[in-house]
Amino acid sequence: MAHGAVKHDYHLVNPSPWPVLTSLGLFIMALGGVAYMKGLFGLPQGNLLTLVPGFLIIVWTLFGWWGECIKESRAGDHTPVVEMSLKYGMILFIASEVMFFVAWFWSFFEMVIFHGHRATGMDVALYPQLADWSSWPPPDIALGGEEAGHGGGFHRVETFDPFGLPLINTLILLLSGTTVTWAHHAIAQGDYKGTKLGLLFTVLLGALFSAFQVLEYQHAHFTYDGSLYGSAFFMATGFHGAHVVIGTIFLFVCLMRMMVGNMTVKNHLGFEFAAWYWHFVDVVWLFLFAFVYIAPRFTLGG
Amino acid sequence: MSTEPTIKYEAVADDHHGGGTGGPSIWNPARWLCSTNHKDIGLMYLVFAMFAGIIGFTLSGMMRFELMEPGLQYFTGEAGSWGDRHTYNVVTTMHGLIMIFFMVMPALIGGFGNYFVPIMIGAPDMAMPRMNNISFWLMPFSFALAVLSMFVPGHGSAHGFGGGWVLYPPLSSLIGHNGPSMDLLILSLHIAGISSILGAINFIVTILNMRAPGMTIHKMPLFAWALLITAFLLVLALPVLAGALTMLLTDRNFGSKFFDPAGGGDPIMFQHLFWFFGHPEVYIMILPGFGIISHIISTFSKKPVFGYLAMAYAMAAIGFIGFLVWAHHMYTVGMGVDLKAYFVAATMVIAVPTGVKIFSWIATMWGGSIEFKLPMLWAMAFVFLFTVGGVTGVVLANAGIDHVLHDTYYVVAHFHYVLSLGAVFTLFAGWYYWYEKMFGIKYNALFGHLHFWFMFVGTNLIFFPQHFLGLQGMPRRYVDYADGFAQWNYVSSIGYMITIVAMLFFFVGLILSMIARKKAEANPWGEYATTLEWTLSSPPPFHQFNELPVVKNEAGH
Amino acid sequence: MRFQGRKIGATLLGALMFGAGLAHANIPIDGQFGMQPAASERAQTITDFHTYLLVIITVITLFVTALLVWVIFRYNSRSNATPARFSHNTVLEVAWTTLPVMILIAIAVFSFPLLYASDVEPTSEKVASGESRELTADDWVTIKTYGHQWYWRYIYDTDSEEPVEFESRLIPEDDLANNPGSVRQLSVYQPMVVPQGKYVRLNIAAYDVIHSWAMPAFRVKVDAVPGRLNQLWFKAEQEGIYFGQCSELCGLDHAYMPIELRIVPQDVYDQWLTLLREDETEAFEYLEQAQPRTSLQQLASVQ
Ligand code: HEA
Ligand code: HEA
Ligand code: CUA
Ligand SMILES: [Cu+2]
Repeated sequence: MAHGAVKHDYHLVNPSPWPVLTSLGLFIMALGGVAYMKGLFGLPQGNLLTLVPGFLIIVWTLFGWWGECIKESRAGDHTPVVEMSLKYGMILFIASEVMFFVAWFWSFFEMVIFHGHRATGMDVALYPQLADWSSWPPPDIALGGEEAGHGGGFHRVETFDPFGLPLINTLILLLSGTTVTWAHHAIAQGDYKGTKLGLLFTVLLGALFSAFQVLEYQHAHFTYDGSLYGSAFFMATGFHGAHVVIGTIFLFVCLMRMMVGNMTVKNHLGFEFAAWYWHFVDVVWLFLFAFVYIAPRFTLGG
Repeated sequence: MSTEPTIKYEAVADDHHGGGTGGPSIWNPARWLCSTNHKDIGLMYLVFAMFAGIIGFTLSGMMRFELMEPGLQYFTGEAGSWGDRHTYNVVTTMHGLIMIFFMVMPALIGGFGNYFVPIMIGAPDMAMPRMNNISFWLMPFSFALAVLSMFVPGHGSAHGFGGGWVLYPPLSSLIGHNGPSMDLLILSLHIAGISSILGAINFIVTILNMRAPGMTIHKMPLFAWALLITAFLLVLALPVLAGALTMLLTDRNFGSKFFDPAGGGDPIMFQHLFWFFGHPEVYIMILPGFGIISHIISTFSKKPVFGYLAMAYAMAAIGFIGFLVWAHHMYTVGMGVDLKAYFVAATMVIAVPTGVKIFSWIATMWGGSIEFKLPMLWAMAFVFLFTVGGVTGVVLANAGIDHVLHDTYYVVAHFHYVLSLGAVFTLFAGWYYWYEKMFGIKYNALFGHLHFWFMFVGTNLIFFPQHFLGLQGMPRRYVDYADGFAQWNYVSSIGYMITIVAMLFFFVGLILSMIARKKAEANPWGEYATTLEWTLSSPPPFHQFNELPVVKNEAGH
Repeated sequence: MRFQGRKIGATLLGALMFGAGLAHANIPIDGQFGMQPAASERAQTITDFHTYLLVIITVITLFVTALLVWVIFRYNSRSNATPARFSHNTVLEVAWTTLPVMILIAIAVFSFPLLYASDVEPTSEKVASGESRELTADDWVTIKTYGHQWYWRYIYDTDSEEPVEFESRLIPEDDLANNPGSVRQLSVYQPMVVPQGKYVRLNIAAYDVIHSWAMPAFRVKVDAVPGRLNQLWFKAEQEGIYFGQCSELCGLDHAYMPIELRIVPQDVYDQWLTLLREDETEAFEYLEQAQPRTSLQQLASVQ
């Protein structure tokens, strides 16, 4: 590029093919997704393969894009002011994620907090099952599938006992919060062995959390498509679970980069972001634990 | 009357290229596909917005021609076939979505924001240039999905999604639209949302972290302020829409019951989530325009902006209160009366900071020495027209009245006054203000003036009579109406034809100016155009500010 | 088509203005600027409040316009070659913040009482002597309606053992001629009927997607939402024919599911309801005799 002498510390990024390719990948994946869900342009419904091409493009571009970032950072493009930009960016990204979870919590509060309000105007003539939703927890919730609908098929929802697996999972996540902080302090002091160990523990704890979550799901006495309760529960905890998985992968990548000596005392922004992300995931869980597991069961009568 | 120190922006030894654009050839596709240059990306946004604007404009014409007379004129197809009454609903829906997501937002935020915010704050580029590029490139793909949705089955054999831009279930659930069209639209909006969130993050970071030495936040130009606040609204509002859209998607395809009363769900919950996004969204569309208008009025009045700080904080107040008023769109859904009362009060409060803006613009002109150049005409028209649209908003804010006017053409009139005669007027104001700067040539003033006057008369003729229709009770989203609504609809459609002429003047003027190629000046507006873009050549060098400019505070005159 | 419509509109306007108070009819009229005539005292208060608002917003808009016009003539570059430099004036800034606040308060003091009065069901009524009278269950008639794609279904006597219901559908264009007096886009085969002098409580829900029951003459509108039971009320003060239209986008024929409301004397209502229990067709034939649609035209021909 034609420039005169550049006398500032900002990073003028070279042209890059990854953004447009990622966009293309998302587009193809959206088309594939609709084809999978509904059938499109002669592609039959229900065929998961339609999602593959777009997905592959995205995986490819993510490697390409982030690889480029890492290269630039090692080339010294990430001056202090650029690092500051990246930090602001990560914080804002997490802020937008928080607002995303607001939507899911909202769907939960709809039943847990506003049921009394809803109760004043329910059309139970057409939807007799709605009567159950005028209190919390609902005494009976219709199961999905064939049994749903007007008339029979009502089953008592057994919400989870918050002080079984969920409590254990809470402790796991809290513990992982401390191990990731340990790793953080260690890297700041140049104790790379401690960093690796801390990260390893965090990744393992993250994986353990996910495993327990799967276990819990298998013992649910309600289904995702049975009722608002099931939908809200599985989507809220499921999106959290997805973030745990992403966070675990993020930390795992950091561990790998530690292994190959890719991060140093001074240069470990990726690790810092992974840690922030992990704390965010942690906090979301605490809210889930409080509002989705504990509050409905105890404070709001149940 | 006190005077205050004027802020003088000054570039140090700005460009070593003496005017040329520099950079790769404009015929090199890689320059655009792989761009990491905020000015190139801004231009792409503008071209994209123009393209989408033409489509949105055409769709509005299909509505106006249909509504010119009572009875069915054009949407006469057999139910379920192309061109039936459902197609009218599809056209209305897509008109609304395209104008909002693919015309106004890309033009004001992506286009002008990208091009001028870095320059105004004295930065060489956006903070994250590569992410800037994906913010742009997601848009055409998102737009492609939206347009595609019109041509695949929406419900049964009928094509497209015809449930309004607000996408209320159950009309947008399987009951109302069981085809793939709605799914395409949901994913289109997801992608547009990702684009806007990434873009917004980029703006906030750039503005917070890359201001030139001496450019404190309280010396920053108002357009940058506007973009900063807009970006915060985007980051906080759009993810909630994404959540609601995701619920809709899983309700439609994976059996969740968020909005399905048969499983305890509630369609009204969608409306809460949608408007929690939707109301901030309307300020997202107008705040950048507010910023543009401040600059133009100050430039052509040859006076500094009146009440700079109040102007900035008024926008912040509007943005903040904007998050607390969403249910004024839902007065008729069966809310409790106390809740309605709260939303009435909160909504009306917004009139106060907005009034501060209107009066400060007038005070900026007061005592000035006004040149009625083209951008100033658009800006002054905007001040007037936005007031008209704003005060009808205050009428609607009163729930007792909104029970009558909700979902009538009165609402359509209100929001076109703030959008089509508000946001779009700021868009054209900015267009002519920065035309020379961006393209390096002069606009065709004659055609520009014709464009303005035809647009002014045309749009007023379209939308003013719609107040009367609404008061008489004409509901929105009607392909055919009772005969008692004929006269004003006829007038409205005549107004549309005048805007066709206006658009012809716009595009012909554009072409003529490109043929004439009259060389641009670095600063055609004189010494009162004080922001940093006027210290650069027209067009600015490919990379401006290799050496950062310094902002000084000159003590008063 | 259009000319016919125009003529009906024009004659109806005449009817409303001059037609002796035989009966009331509400229908959108061409070229009007304001709301339809109010059909109840409650509705009239809303009209009045709107007029009040209209004055306020017009004054504000004219004020802004006047300032702009003044600025254009006084401070253009020819009249005022050297611009002033001021950018602050505390008195003015305080004024244009507090004044709007005061205007808004002046709006709110009427808006809130109006909102509560029109939203909350009244418990008493002022009688001619100026005293108020407690309303009893007898003063009310409760009807339930479901919005369907694309018609309304009305259910009467919802509390009794055997509720009775019927569907209310648009008279399509090609059948208007067979139903003398019917109005294009607005008339239905089987309208909703209520007795004059009663307070009407309407319970509203939807069967499939969201619809909205609107009756401009009474200034009421409430959405019909699946799973929700919404309510509105109005007082059936004057005999007559009233029209409204579905006011929430509900799909293909959203524009084709109007609402026709008949307010008839109590005895006609009773007779109609009795007949309805036996034979729908007969009931509406009877209604047509008791309160013929042609009365619209008759009204029109009065002058
Ligand atoms: C740019 C977009 C924009 C803007 C800026 C606004 C601004 C406002 N809007 Fe608008 N609105 C929309 C876009 C916008 N709106 C859209 C798109 C819809 C319909 C969505 C749909 O259903 O499809 C809508 C609908 C809508 C409704 C719902 C109507 C209904 O569906 O029943 C309401 C109700 O309260 C409302 C109110 C307001 C208010 C109070 C303002 C205020 O911010 C206005 C403030 C401005 C002024 C008041 C003028 C200037 C002030 C002065 C000169 C000071 C003195 C004034 C006073 C003291 C009054 N709007
Ligand atoms: C920004 C938003 C926007 C804009 C600009 C417009 C512009 C216009 N709209 Fe709007 N409209 C909406 C947003 C907008 N609309 C929305 C949200 C709805 C509700 C949808 C729903 O119900 O779901 C609606 C609904 C709506 C209806 C109601 C339909 C119904 O309820 O049945 C009608 C009817 O006349 C109408 C007409 C028009 C006309 C004639 C124009 C214009 O033709 C007026 C003239 C405008 C222009 C000529 C601008 C053209 C701009 C460009 C070409 C871009 C140039 C670009 C650059 C310089 C970069 N619109
Ligand atoms: Cu029913 Cu619109
Ligand atoms: Cu709003």
